[in-house]
Amino acid sequence: MNRIETALQALQEKKEKAFITYITAGLPDYDKTKAIIKAQEAAGTDIIELGIPFSDPVADGPVIQAASYEAILGGANLEKTFTCMKEMRDDGVQIPIVFMMYYNTVLHYGVEKFVKECNACGVDGLIIPDLPLEEQEELQTQLQKEDGTILIQLVSPVSKDRVPKILKNARGFVYCVSSMGVTGQEATFHRQILEYLTAVKKEAKIPVMMGFGIRTAEDVRPMKEIIDGAIVGSHFITLMREHGFDPQAAADYCSTFKKELNEM
Amino acid sequence: MNKKAYYGQFGGQYVAESLMNTLQELDQAYEEAIHDPEFMKQYHYYLKQYVGRETPLYYAERLSAKYGTKIYLKREDLNHTGAHKINNVIGQILLAKRMGKTKVIAETGAGQHGVATATGAALFDMECTVYMGKEDIQRQKLNVMRMEMLGAKVVSVESGSNTLKDATNEAIRTWAKTAEDTFYIIGSAVGPYPYPKMVKEFQSVISREAKRQHMEAEGKNPDVVMACVGGGSNSIGMFADFIDEPEVELIGVEAAGLGIETGKHASAMALGEPGVLHGMRSYLLQDTDGNIQLAHSISAGLDYPGVGPEHAYLRDTGRAKYVAITDVEAMDALMELCKLEGIIPAIESAHAVAYAFKKAKEMTMDQSMIICLSGRGDKDVNTIADYLDGKGYLN
Repeated sequence: MNRIETALQALQEKKEKAFITYITAGLPDYDKTKAIIKAQEAAGTDIIELGIPFSDPVADGPVIQAASYEAILGGANLEKTFTCMKEMRDDGVQIPIVFMMYYNTVLHYGVEKFVKECNACGVDGLIIPDLPLEEQEELQTQLQKEDGTILIQLVSPVSKDRVPKILKNARGFVYCVSSMGVTGQEATFHRQILEYLTAVKKEAKIPVMMGFGIRTAEDVRPMKEIIDGAIVGSHFITLMREHGFDPQAAADYCSTFKKELNEM
Repeated sequence: MNKKAYYGQFGGQYVAESLMNTLQELDQAYEEAIHDPEFMKQYHYYLKQYVGRETPLYYAERLSAKYGTKIYLKREDLNHTGAHKINNVIGQILLAKRMGKTKVIAETGAGQHGVATATGAALFDMECTVYMGKEDIQRQKLNVMRMEMLGAKVVSVESGSNTLKDATNEAIRTWAKTAEDTFYIIGSAVGPYPYPKMVKEFQSVISREAKRQHMEAEGKNPDVVMACVGGGSNSIGMFADFIDEPEVELIGVEAAGLGIETGKHASAMALGEPGVLHGMRSYLLQDTDGNIQLAHSISAGLDYPGVGPEHAYLRDTGRAKYVAITDVEAMDALMELCKLEGIIPAIESAHAVAYAFKKAKEMTMDQSMIICLSGRGDKDVNTIADYLDGKGYLN
């Protein structure tokens, strides 16, 4: 069974909500990336989204754009991130890790080779914001050759009648984008957020996570009865910058968020 | 996979899930519009009375005499706002109004599409925001002023390389946030389906006119049709009605910048590899990590690292041929056109003219070619002056 699915099943049995963070790979360097992920695993973070930097991140707001740009200037790329993954898994890191990336990076690497490498390096899932359902066949064909890496599906407040077909064969969890537009828009959720999340939850057989614009557990209090977890990206990167990418600061933030999320 | 979104393996809809319904609505509204005689009547009314169509197909006597074949120029430079861009803007903005949108956004590099969009927005009373890279704002001050005079808001984009591709990223981001009341007017034959199809339709007026005009003048189709290619809107419009005429050779001219071998060029077809950018799968300039590389050309309008998906398809099927012209070759052709015909072309269009001179060597006086003169060179006078002074140039 896939690490994401195993971890989320365990959480459901404990009736706990999941806490997921996003960090750009190689920001400011790969040693920090590893240290931050290890600290988060120890602090109780449930899933890590690891961003593969791309030159033209159209689904991202200013914080992740800047992070991506800096990581590229620092030499981060897909190949090095695979190496980083392999090293972490060899070190015994067990936390589920999902690559958040753009499709051009996959195409450039070669879809078949990419999927093989994901499976070999312990990449559990993929989030590709510029690969909507209609364009997924090429990648899914390769993913389905092995019982390993899975593609996470995204839904948005305006997906409406598309939700059932998106969720039909979805695995792992559903990533509910909280607002229109891009990452990091400071908790200005869509005006019909509760109706939207309720509709997705009703349709979904797998856990429903909400992301985009979340900073604290308090931000998701209004939807705590609906969602199964929260994803923090831009705010986590801002926080890491403020603390000089100190793994302890990551651990403190994650354990607090996770605790508050489950005590609400 | 939505097969109708593809030209062979190129095209598609590589956008965020939140835009998928928007694209679906757009495609439906577009199909209804172009099959509605009232809509098309309105579109052609504005092309005639406002843009000043039809544009002449001018027989360039002195060039023809010098190069030994019949050279015709399709004078898109005589359109209102100075280039072909307005053909597409009028079409898309009428569609936006029909869909009940109140705001339009656009990306621009050199500013020509921004000026055309600001013009259309003023004409049809729409709120207009144009995204432009910080670098481009500095080097195209005159066009920024034009847009502002026309009532548009110009937003300086400061991310990535601060140029056209980043302005396009920012326009896409804004569109994803505001699609409910905002229409994104894409200026080139690029982007997710149905944009390449729409831009082609609204630019195909170029070849519809040119084909008839050439028939009137010569009693046959031209032997060669050529146009410059950045994203590829004037060229797809120039090719459109000739694609199904196999005897007509189609040539797209990309910018070779300082030379393909220097790496400083904008020729996505010469060395590009297929990839995904700005919602489409097509040939793109990429580095070894699959990041998008910066394009380089003296002409800001050709300075784009990708190319429209139908061009990628026409290239792979062999229906059209794509070549590249360097900065120097384009500038030489530009000066020659000034001196021999009294026409100052845009530097973009001068790339097509430069290749026409090469192509003419294998042609005879019984044969003819049409060059799409996509824009006028007024906007380029500063760049041309700097170039002639030997100071290099800004782009």
